[in-house]
Amino acid sequence: MQSMTAAAAVSGFGGISMRHAFAADPLRLWAAGIHKVGAKDWSAMEAQAGIKIAYTTKSARADESIQKMVVGDGNKLFDAMTDNGGGMEDALASQNVIVPLDTSRIPNWKNILPVYREGGSAADTIRYEGKVYATPMISNADSMAYDYKVLGFHPDSWGVLFDSQFKGYVALQNDFGPTLTNMAIYLKQSGKIEITNPSDMTPGEVKAVCQFLIDYKKKGQFRTFWDGFQNGVDLLATGEVLLSSCWEPIQIVANRKTGDKADIRYGSMKEGHQAWNNMIMLTKGGRERGADESYYKLANVYLSPWFGARTLAGLGFGAQMVGVDTYIKANPEEFPPEKRKEVIDILTRKKERLANKGNAWQNVFPKNLRAYQDWWARLQAA
Amino acid sequence: MRRDIESTSPTAGGGWDVPASPSPWQRLIGEDGLQKWVFYVPIAFMVLFFAIPMTATVVWSVFERTQFWMEPGFTFSAYENFFTSARVENYLSSMIHSAWAVVICFVLGFPVAVFVRRRVPRVAQHRVILLFILPFMISELVRVFAMRPVLGRYGLVNSFLMDIGLINEPITVILFSPLGVIIGDVLSFLPFMVFAGFLAMEAVQLYVFEVCDDLGAGTVRTFSDVIVPLAAPGIFAGSVFIFVNSLGVALVPIILGGPGAVNAGLIVNQAIVALDFPLAMAISTIMIVTLMALLYVGHRLFDLTKILEPIN
Repeated sequence: MQSMTAAAAVSGFGGISMRHAFAADPLRLWAAGIHKVGAKDWSAMEAQAGIKIAYTTKSARADESIQKMVVGDGNKLFDAMTDNGGGMEDALASQNVIVPLDTSRIPNWKNILPVYREGGSAADTIRYEGKVYATPMISNADSMAYDYKVLGFHPDSWGVLFDSQFKGYVALQNDFGPTLTNMAIYLKQSGKIEITNPSDMTPGEVKAVCQFLIDYKKKGQFRTFWDGFQNGVDLLATGEVLLSSCWEPIQIVANRKTGDKADIRYGSMKEGHQAWNNMIMLTKGGRERGADESYYKLANVYLSPWFGARTLAGLGFGAQMVGVDTYIKANPEEFPPEKRKEVIDILTRKKERLANKGNAWQNVFPKNLRAYQDWWARLQAA
Repeated sequence: MRRDIESTSPTAGGGWDVPASPSPWQRLIGEDGLQKWVFYVPIAFMVLFFAIPMTATVVWSVFERTQFWMEPGFTFSAYENFFTSARVENYLSSMIHSAWAVVICFVLGFPVAVFVRRRVPRVAQHRVILLFILPFMISELVRVFAMRPVLGRYGLVNSFLMDIGLINEPITVILFSPLGVIIGDVLSFLPFMVFAGFLAMEAVQLYVFEVCDDLGAGTVRTFSDVIVPLAAPGIFAGSVFIFVNSLGVALVPIILGGPGAVNAGLIVNQAIVALDFPLAMAISTIMIVTLMALLYVGHRLFDLTKILEPIN
């Protein structure tokens, strides 16, 4: 407030200058905890970006974000926000609650992964009607965690989830988006069901995928469907399930938790995976309050190998820029040989997973959303 | 003016004793001031936090769904969607599980209330009942999640039963199953039955037990023919609390339920996640109607005003 008053006095209270007056204020950021690296709070991110951040925790629920931004007070409260995966930027941009970006103000934009320039699904995730609306931060191709110590082999197909020898030891994510997409990828690539686009299925395709799952549910194949990070970790760490379709950080934490009792690993499935990314966007309210500069500084950090190396090493998320391996090799004090080997290994497997031709991009708003909901309810009732 | 003159009277000294006029403070809080309005506070509370939200829920349930919200209109499509989809099956099975939780809570909790009323010295009765509040001091999330290491495949129950040789393989049906949800509901909401049951038992005079003993009625007959009918309004009130919570608290099926386990609260939550707000409102309306019907039937059968008799 003090900085605002001083700046306003210097500028003679001009409208444009008033906007700049706010630039010294903290960037009011609405983001999930997984969108930071370094210290437990945002101090490391602040130091790298050279800005102050006023952080508000955001859940992983796309509905909450969209509701708050489109019909709620999100634009009043937040200058910048992160998303919850595929399709949100289109929804938000179409409602005029986020603004297009000037990528020339992000020096590290030159480092961005080529897939974001080449066109196609990944490039679409940051654009709306041809304009860039978002800066990508992290990505992944969701797969399956398994206890190698018990299984004794490395599964490379989703089909193992339906192997009768693991009856009652399988968990799926309790979310029709990723679960139906991954199952559709498996059923399509294994030739069991004809599916055109696993990310955006027709009602008939949704029905076929759900009926397949209903059959196995009735046979008792699934122990449960997990909801929430800790829940997913607990199932694997306690040995309640041996196989679980889940986010990679769940496998990492579960494996740390079990120590030598289990060997929980994250596989690569030959059929493909649901790919996704998370991005940071500048809100319309943020632009009106002159938060552009702070936003671009933070976006620049998100596209730096400093961030990429840390998100990869800490949470196993894919970096969105080139040069991460070079950065890791150039900083042996932060990444000693053993750690470097582990991170490079994750990076290599992640590159392979993301390059799988069978992958389908996450889509939080498929055209036939009602069919997804209705058939998911049937699966629950079965 | 005339009234003022009449209300005054001469004093012994020959002067006039004029009643002191109330101070501004007395006028503010006196019977004609704030005091009068205090009685309207509960009504205002009920209107603000009960009638208006309920009406809004019903009205929104017939609105048109838009991409991200809803707009005024009049359509029953949300209700049609509910009754023609598997959601209705999920809702009904959720009601059945909730009913089981009520029955088990009654079997476990009401005898505790009777025991405390009959056997515990009067001065200690309330303190004993207050002990049942203790579980509520812990977050419900923690309480429910704590059931996992107890009921799990390698949990305490299975380990104990295997250690004593009663079973060879872990029993998996007690977790991640409808039974797991019922167990979770019972452990979460059992104190409601104890409280309501005890409140109802306070209306039952101790001599009733003595009369039953003198007349030779056995324990079972005394319980079923005398105690339960006398405490019926309280039992019903406790049952409603348990039923409504089991139906609406989404945490229990999420943590202890099987693949895709849901209750009514979770069905609403899932409709909101899919940005289908009219559907969420329609299911909420159906829940409200279910509860109202339940209360109406209960009142007709047991006269729920009797719950407050001990207080009177």
